[in-house]
Order: sequence, then structure tokens, then C-alpha cells
Amino acid sequence: MSRVLTKEKLNVVNTPVEKVDGKALVRGKPVFTDDFDLPNALTVKILRSPHAHAIIKSIDTSAAMIEGVACILTYKDVPHVIYTRAGQGYPEPSPYDTFILDKKVRYVGDAVAIIAAENENIAERAMKLIKVDYEILPAVLDYEHAQDPDAPVIHNEPEISGAYDPKHNIASHYEMEIGNVEEELKKCDYTVDEVYYTPNQSHAMMETHAAISYFDPNGRLTVITSTQVPFHARRILNRLFGVNCRVIKPRIGGGFGGKQALHVEPYVVAVTLKTGRPAKCVYTREETMTASNTRHAMRFRVRAGAMKDGTLKAIELWGLSNTGAYGEHALTVFMVAGSKTLPLYNKVKAVKFGGDVVYSNTEPAGAFRGYGAPQGMFALDSALDELARKIGMDPITFKLKNSIREGETSPIFKIMGEGREGVEQIIRSCKIEECAIEGAKIFNWYEKIKKPRIDMKNKIAHGYGVAFAMQGSSIPAIDMGGATLKMNDDGTFNLLVGATDLGTGSDTILAQIAAEVLHTTVDKITVYSSDTDITPFDKGAYASSTTYVSGNAVKSAAEKMKKEILKAASELFEKPVELLDLEEDKVVCEDGRSISFSELQTKLFYTFNQRQLEVTESFVSEVAPPPYLVSFAEVEIDMETGKVKVVDFLNYIDCGVTINPVLARGQVEGASAQGIGMALFEDHIMDRNGRLITDDFFTYKIPARGDIGKIEVRFAKSYEPTGPFGAKSVSEIGLDTPGPAIANAIYDALGIRMRRLPIRSEELFFEIRKKYG
Amino acid sequence: MKVNIKINDRNYSIEIEPGEMLLETLRKLGYKGVKHACSTASCGACTVQIDGKPVLSCSTFTAAVDGHEVKTVEGFSNEGVLSEIQKAILEEGASQCGFCIPGLVVTAEALLKENPDPNQEEIIEYLKGNLCRCTGYESQTRAIMKAAKARRER
Amino acid sequence: MLNIKEYVKPDTVQSAYEIGQVPNSLYVSGGLMVSQIKSERLERLIDLKSLDLDYIREEEEYFKIGANTKLSSLISHPSFSSLGEDFVKKSIKEIGSVQIRNMATVGGSIAFRLGWSDVITIFMTIGSQVEIYNGKFQKMDLEDFISQKIKGAIITEITVPKIEGKCIFEKFAKSNFDIATLNLGLRVSLDGNFIKEARIVAGSRPMISQRIREVEEFVTGKEIDKISDEASKLIQKVIQTGTDLRASAEYRKALSGSLLSKALRRVTQ
Ligand SMILES: Cc1cc2nc3c(=O)[nH]c(=O)nc-3n(C[C@H](O)[C@H](O)[C@H](O)COP(=O)(O)OP(=O)(O)OC[C@H]3O[C@@H](n4cnc5c(N)ncnc54)[C@H](O)[C@@H]3O)c2cc1C
Ligand code: FES
Ligand code: FES
Repeated sequence: MSRVLTKEKLNVVNTPVEKVDGKALVRGKPVFTDDFDLPNALTVKILRSPHAHAIIKSIDTSAAMIEGVACILTYKDVPHVIYTRAGQGYPEPSPYDTFILDKKVRYVGDAVAIIAAENENIAERAMKLIKVDYEILPAVLDYEHAQDPDAPVIHNEPEISGAYDPKHNIASHYEMEIGNVEEELKKCDYTVDEVYYTPNQSHAMMETHAAISYFDPNGRLTVITSTQVPFHARRILNRLFGVNCRVIKPRIGGGFGGKQALHVEPYVVAVTLKTGRPAKCVYTREETMTASNTRHAMRFRVRAGAMKDGTLKAIELWGLSNTGAYGEHALTVFMVAGSKTLPLYNKVKAVKFGGDVVYSNTEPAGAFRGYGAPQGMFALDSALDELARKIGMDPITFKLKNSIREGETSPIFKIMGEGREGVEQIIRSCKIEECAIEGAKIFNWYEKIKKPRIDMKNKIAHGYGVAFAMQGSSIPAIDMGGATLKMNDDGTFNLLVGATDLGTGSDTILAQIAAEVLHTTVDKITVYSSDTDITPFDKGAYASSTTYVSGNAVKSAAEKMKKEILKAASELFEKPVELLDLEEDKVVCEDGRSISFSELQTKLFYTFNQRQLEVTESFVSEVAPPPYLVSFAEVEIDMETGKVKVVDFLNYIDCGVTINPVLARGQVEGASAQGIGMALFEDHIMDRNGRLITDDFFTYKIPARGDIGKIEVRFAKSYEPTGPFGAKSVSEIGLDTPGPAIANAIYDALGIRMRRLPIRSEELFFEIRKKYG
Repeated sequence: MKVNIKINDRNYSIEIEPGEMLLETLRKLGYKGVKHACSTASCGACTVQIDGKPVLSCSTFTAAVDGHEVKTVEGFSNEGVLSEIQKAILEEGASQCGFCIPGLVVTAEALLKENPDPNQEEIIEYLKGNLCRCTGYESQTRAIMKAAKARRER
Repeated sequence: MLNIKEYVKPDTVQSAYEIGQVPNSLYVSGGLMVSQIKSERLERLIDLKSLDLDYIREEEEYFKIGANTKLSSLISHPSFSSLGEDFVKKSIKEIGSVQIRNMATVGGSIAFRLGWSDVITIFMTIGSQVEIYNGKFQKMDLEDFISQKIKGAIITEITVPKIEGKCIFEKFAKSNFDIATLNLGLRVSLDGNFIKEARIVAGSRPMISQRIREVEEFVTGKEIDKISDEASKLIQKVIQTGTDLRASAEYRKALSGSLLSKALRRVTQ
């Protein structure tokens, strides 16, 4: 991998430093929540509703209080505080519509009772002995029918707040229009008007949800939890129970947005508060599949129009989103489907976006990598592909012609923010031309599309598709991250960050940033991340913000630390700061003298101007510079079965300077695989009663090794002036393109347009049969 | 009931429940590198070797392992020195969250013992029971190729 | 963890069988499927590992395979794996993963009578016999064995004839690591271009594997490179399929046709 040229001379940043937590992970050290055994801990299990919509008429736990059961808690025994499980900046843009336990259950899997016992066996036996009498209510299982006149009302609790129109099952609503789409469309030579669907998708992170709570020896409530949002978790737990606590995030076995919400924490805390004993709850795979959260399924009607010469004039995206039983991230995910897709085509005369986010009696939806952009982009990019084909233009040329460039802006940045108004921004780095043009060359696009697509003898078809995407880097004017640096007398530094490494490698890249500024190496930086009692605040790991926000916080902390070090050295050498500089773990003076960090801090500890060098800095983003991506897909379709295989998937990405090229590449490869999973493999199938039947890895197929041909990643030469060392975000955008790129490639191969994900071989097969016999 | 099992070259004589799974036994004994990620034998995170062969500890009765030899990821991790496979995984960025990695290491050790010079297809075929949600597999294939080469040159 | 009282390891087939008659007992060999059972009533597991049934013996006309033989041993056995022009090796490799094949046994795979079993389709394609112990030793065709439920019987051995001709296994699954949406085994012996004898087995319909005799008869005596289309149409007409979460009955019918024509093409390639 070639190193990217940048405006700064770099030693540590933009190099493939190994992950700081890597050695422990490859050895299988006990670093995950379930690896911690606390003496005397209770095992916590949750009794869940078998009904999609019901009222608990009565619940009798007496028979279940068998020997070894410490407590069983029902809605009568836990605080009746309404809240949202979403881990977002406060006040949250999500409606308050959830209780820890409620008298009403709203989906199959909704929590009914908390059981705490000496071991799992007893807890499970007790669970079966709880008698619940349900009054079963009619349910909304298909979100497209949530607004039917006779649809049952899912949220009729009087305490609900922040929902748009709960009496009609509408959690959120949004609309905006710039210019007049209707008028512009009339003037267009070509238009499309189609409806696209994206599915619920499970995060399927390898580590299930898990948490432990206990009182430490001083009586402080402590929660160890597999979360992306430790600081939000602490705030919400305080709101629920009125108790202060410390939240510690150990290593996380994947999150992808699924852990940007509270799941297990309230249950274990309720048990610890009730019994005084440590409590541990580890979800099963089935619970994680059926009773945590999923990607919002969405339907978009897209209307778009262009002129003969390929000038795009107007776009409308009108949607319906399924938030499931609770409105976590309802409004914000929906808005991102527009706010992080539409500015890409900023040259249109008119643009309109809006729709409803509805409740249904299905598993709640939540944050999932891409956060709405994959849903919006599947609809938008597919529609633009259809439009390009109508015009008779190469889709790369068409999309590129109409996309945003450096120095430009889009009014949408200001109009659409995180559940409210956004901020204006001028795009300062955008290498989408390089991504499209160089990518096409590497992919051999123009040679490939000259080849015949269908081999009738072997009944195999090949097709080529391209998709464009953008994302953001952080939520501007809301996201804040802090970093503390402390120098030690052995010349090492402690870097304390609230940022949450969930396997993404952020601890590593933050250490790289600090090491770069401080002229040291990553092995001299010990990172402590996300312990709410020890590290400074950070909003958490979401919205593609860690590199950008937390990275900038670390950079300013390191710069301040550098100043402190130089100041101390200048006192020692009795020389002005201007004559001093940092160089390989030491301070050097113009006159040839030097002192190592270790010697300096030792002197400061014991003999000279005694003090601890320590600094804390915070960063709030003012803008959210988008990364850009152009992806090229080659698919092979077995016309006898309808099976689609992605044989080659090339990503050409502008994410600014890559702080760590190996980790950045891994983020894009991983996101591509999840996007391909969403496009072709992952299917939520419910039975008639609303029970998810694809509830394990045996039936819910995430891509396995060998299911995907080749995923390639190339980085554009780019530098984002507002980012730390020129970096932008990289972790989410890769999920936006596989859906449309694959659907476009299938169309290219067969002339069949698939407008619903996942593309099932069965559906495609019958389309092929219809068309080719 | 009582069973005798050799785990990572150490002999254990332990009391177990008759219906206990090897995964539970190993984690109770402190081998936390053995991960639990599904309950349907579908992910490979719990892979250990029994008599040198990779198997799923979540679906193996401990009682059936009486008199056999078990090796977990801890058995492939000499303190201080990383194996070629572990080193290559780090270098290639093939571990993100790391939850699938212990199972992968144990399976890949068996692969390279059986086939010191595997090609890409053979690696994919041998490791297809090891799911990973983070990496998209590309970096893991690169890492195993690299580790195989390093082992051959050892 | 299974909440059972006893895990026993008898060392003779007779004593295993006797314990097997005690209510709430279950045999276990590989344990892959038994470990998934969520029965409250189960009290006893009878491990068949100590019965010395882990072997592949080659005789003049037959291979004899002990019930406790792991699927991975089938692949590594030099002569058995090459049966049917490498049929065994290639087809068994399509089952599960390395770990699954190191655990699953031939006996357990057949005894469980899984609808989606590839193992049963594969062994039916090569025409196997099952030896069971049912108070006495008894042999029967695999096809007959799976169509009846013989309570408490222990599978002890599978006999596979050294068949002639070429065998092909086709499996359609969503993912590389997945069970079949439909599987199909084809065995043909040719006389020049003409099909002398044919056997066609389809499984995961989603019902259990079945020979498709009408199509076997139809192709017999015909030129192999000319009958693909018609055979494919016929199998779609006669095969019985069902709907489950993986596919509809209609799609499975279509797949049977596609897999059969692929298999026929592969014979001549
Ligand atoms: C994730 C996964 C993927 C799989 N993929 C495939 C696949 O792709 N294709 C495929 O064909 N199969 C597949 N299988 C099934 C596997 O191949 C075996 O068929 C299955 O595991 C049973 O074998 P076992 O030896 O483990 O049986 P066990 O679990 O030990 O027993 C299964 C049943 O048979 C009974 N039994 C066991 N041995 C005997 C005996 N000798 N006599 C009488 N009764 C006996 C037991 O009492 C039990 O009821 C898969 C399994 C899993 C878990
Ligand atoms: S935990 Fe054993 S295979 Fe998933
Ligand atoms: S690295 Fe996270 S599952 Fe593989």
C-alpha cells in the first residue's frame, strides 16, 4: 500500500501501526464483559413476551421463587420512568416511549420479567414457572399498514413524549423542499418514478449484548458493559434509577451501532440495587437477534428528472421507515437517509425529502452502521442508474457530472441536521473525480462493459455496476469528545479518552495521533478508554466521529502537552521556548543540550519546579466533512438458479489522510461485506404471529468466508484541512454502496431491475424465467 | 461425574455435570479465550482442538472428552512470543474486535499443520466455519497466507 | 448445558441397546445435533464412542463403514474418498465446515433423518445398506431405513458397494456455509453416450431425500447429452417439494430441474 502524500511530514500517522490492544486479543486474553467473573454474582435472565402486542393482565411469580432464586422483578418492581434506550446527545431527538418493564408488551421478545438466580440453570427453571396472563391485542406486523385506519395503537401510554403522532403510530415525521420539484420534473426530458425497499438487518456482532453490575468496596455502583456509549449509558441509568454510577467499557466484540443503545444495563442494575449483589447478564444469540435492535427497514419512492445532456434537475425522496416497537433513533436515522445522500448531487434545481417513521409490533430498530444512508442511497443511486440508462448515458459519467466538488456546498447541510437544523459547510476536500475515474481504470470498467453479458451455453451472466456515496464525519455542533494526557517519569504517556473502541482500532489511531505530535512512538502511549470515572467525556462511537472528533481532541491535548513540556524544559535550561523543540522522546535545545521526557518528568516530580504534567482538551466539531466513495461491482449470476455472486468489489475512497492505512482498509472491507450481506444474504423472516424465525446464525446467514469474491480498497490522495492530520471518517461509508452497486450490476447483466433488498435468488430466478423462458 | 482431560499440556481431573458442554468447562477453568457467540454450531468462535483436530466446544459434551487432549488458543500463545499466525493477524489488521480471533487461530493452526502451503481456496475452504462480522475476511486470508510462508521459512 | 442425570459409555452394542430402551434415553455419537436438543424430559445420554465403530474397511466388493466414523475420515480415506470418480471426497466437502465434519458421524447423520441431510442423499446415491442392532443385527437398504422409524435401534455399520460409473453431487445453498435449499445426487453408468443405468436422489425438498424413479427410468437407455432439457422438465413435474423459510415449493421444483441438468452436463464435461 503506497503512502499518501500529505502536507505534513509524518512519522507515526499514516503508517500501519499494529493495534495497541491486538496482542491481548490474538492470545485470547480475558478482555470482554463475559470474561469477568465476579465472586458471588447472580445470573440474570429475561422472560420475554411470546406475543407481538398484549397487555399483562396478571403476573404471578410465586411458584418461580424456587431455591437459588434471588429475585424476580416485574413492571411493578422497577422504576416507572419513561425514557429512550437510544444513546444520543442530550436532550435526545428520539421519543421517550420506553419503560424498563411495562404492563404492555409491544413485540415478540419484549421484556416481561427479570430473573436473578445463583446460576443459569436455576434462572431458566424459574423463568418457566412464572405465570403470565396476557390479553392479546391485534398487532401491526407489516409497517406499511401501521397507518391503516383500523390499525391498533401501539403507544397509548400517557407518559409518552417527543413522538410525532403516536395515536396514528407515527413516531416521527420530517419534510423539507428546496425549489419546486413538481415544476422542475415537468421540464425534464427524462424522469423516473419508482419505489425501493431496504430490509431490517441484524448487526450480528460476534459478541452478544452483555453487562455486569456491582457495588465496589466503597459502595459505588459500577457497571461493566459492552457498549458504544458509556457516558450516555451513565446518564440514562441515573435518570432511570436516580443513582450515580461508574460505567466501564471493556473490549467490545463488535457493535456496528447495535450497542449505541441500552440493552442489558437496566436489568443488571435493577438486580444489584435490589439485592446488593453483583449481577451478570449475557444475552443469547437468539435474544440478540430477536430482542435488541435492527436496521430500520425503509421504503422510498424516488422521483428524479434530467435533461438529454445528462443534467440532473430534480430529486424527491419520499419515505416510510419502520422503527418497530420503540422509536430509538427514529427521526435521526430517517433524516440521514436524506442528509447524507442528497448533498452528493448538489447541482439540482429542486430537491425534496420527507416521510413518516412508524411504529409496528416488531423488534425495535436502532442505529446501524451507515445510519440511514445505506437505505437512502440504495433508493437514490438505483434511481439515478435507471435515469442514466434511460438517457443512454454511462452511469459513471452521469453520476460524476452531477456530483459535488471541492469548494462547493449544498443548502441541505444547513437545513438538515441531527433531528434539527444542521450547519453550513463548504466542502474543503472532495476527490470524487479521482475515485470515479481512477477507479474505473483499475476496475477495467470501459473494457468490461464492451463484453457480452450472457453466456447462454453455461447459463451464466455477468454484470457491472457502480454506486456513489458520501457520509459525514461526526454530528456538528453536538458531538464532543475530550482527551487527557499525562506524562510519566519513565517517559511514557497515559492517554485517557472517552472514545469507545469497539474493535474499530480507535485506541490505536488516537495513540498514533498523540505520538505524532509528541515525537514519540505508539508503544510509549498507554491508552485508557471509556471509564466514566476516569476518562474525560466522549459522546461515544457513532456517526463516524471518532477519528474526526476524538482525534481532534487528542491532537489538541497533545499539542498542549507539547507546550507544557517545552515550558518546563525552558525553565530548566533557562532558554526561551522558541529555542527548544521535541525530537524522539526528548527536548532538544539549540545549544546542543537535551533532556529526555523521562528525565524531565523525574526532575519535575522530585527536584525541580515540582508538578505533574497533565492536560485535558475537548473538541466540538463545527462541520462534518463527508468522505466520498465510488464502488464498482462485478456480479456473476447463475441463470438456472438465480444465485448472485459478487466476484469483484472495488472501493475507491476519499477519507482524507488515513491515520492508519491497514485499519482504514479493514474498515472499508468490513463495511463492504456487511453491505453485501444486506444486499444478498441477510433476511428477516417472521411467522404469522410476529416471531422472527431467522433468529440464529443457522438461519440468518451473514456472509461466510468464500461467499464474496474479492473486495479491494484504494485510497484517493486527499487532505481534509479541518481533520486531525487531514483525516476524515472511514468506518460507515462502505456500507452505502454494495446494495445499489449490486442491483445496478444485476440490471446491467440481465436487464432486470431489483428494487427490493435483500435480492433473493428465488425472486431473481422467477424474473429471469419470465424474461428468458 | 469425574473426567480426566489434558488441557494445553496440563492434566486435569475434574468434577462435571453429565450434560455439561466443553465450552462451559473450559471457561470455568479460566480458558476465557474460548468464545461463545452462537448456540447452533454455526460460527466457530468456540473452536478448540481435540487430539489435534478442530471441533466446536459449544457442541461437544465434556463427558465425551474424558481421556482426550484439548488445546485452546491459550495453548498456542507462549507468553511473550506470538505465533506466526498471531503475528500475521496483527500485521494484516485481520483482527478488529478480536472476538472471532481465538477460534480462527486454533483452526488455522490445524490447517497449517495439515497443509503447510495452502492456496487461497484451501484457506477459505478450511476456515469457512469461522464467521467474522468485522473484517470481510480479506485481511484474514492475507494473514494466513503470510503466516504459512513464515512457518515454512522457519 | 443439558440438564441430564447420566452420561454413560457402554462398550458393547447389546448393553448400549439395553440402556437405550430405558425411557428418556438418547444415543449420542458426534453430539452435534444432540447438543441442540432442548428437551426437559431427557435424562440419559448413551455415548456410542466405546463401541469400536470407527473404521472404514475395504473388502473386495464393498466398503464397510462403522457408524461412529467421522465425516472427515471419509474424505481422508484414500480409496473410499475416490469412489464414484472422487464423488465421496467432493460431496462430503460440501457438508458444514471442517469442525462440523470432525464431529459429525455417519451413523448420527443417518439416524437423525434430517430432511436437509446431504449425507443421506450422498449415501443413497451410491446405494448403501444400513446395519442396525434391534435386539438382533439386521441389514436394510438406506432408502427403507429412512422411511420407517425403528425405535431404539442402533446403527452399527453402513455398507457401500464398489459402484461403477460416475456420480455427481449438486447442492444449492444460499451461503457457502449453509445447509441445502435442495440437494441432488446423480449416478450414471454409460455405454458410450447411452445411459445404461441411472440413479437420481433429491434431498432437502425440504422433506427427506428420495429417489426420483420416474426420471431414472426416463433417462435410462437415452443419449446423455440429448436428454438434459427433457429430464429437467420431468423432474420438476414429478418431484414433491414443500415450502419453508429457505424457499418455496415452486422454487425447489425449479431448482431440481436446474441441479439435474447441471449434474448431467458435468457427467460429460
Ligand atoms: C451448523 C451445522 C451445519 C451442518 N451442515 C450440514 C450440511 O451442510 N449437510 C449435512 O448433511 N449435514 C449438516 N449438518 C449435520 C451434520 O452433518 C450431522 O448430520 C449431525 O451433526 C448429526 O451427526 P452427529 O454424529 O453429530 O449426531 P448426534 O448429534 O450424536 O446424533 C444425532 C441423532 O442420531 C441419534 N444417533 C446417533 N448415533 C446413532 C447411531 N449410531 N444409531 C442410532 N441412532 C444414533 C442420536 O440419538 C440423535 O437423535 C450440520 C450440522 C450443523 C450443526
Ligand atoms: S459458539 Fe460454537 S459454533 Fe458458535
Ligand atoms: S474481528 Fe470482529 S468478528 Fe472477527
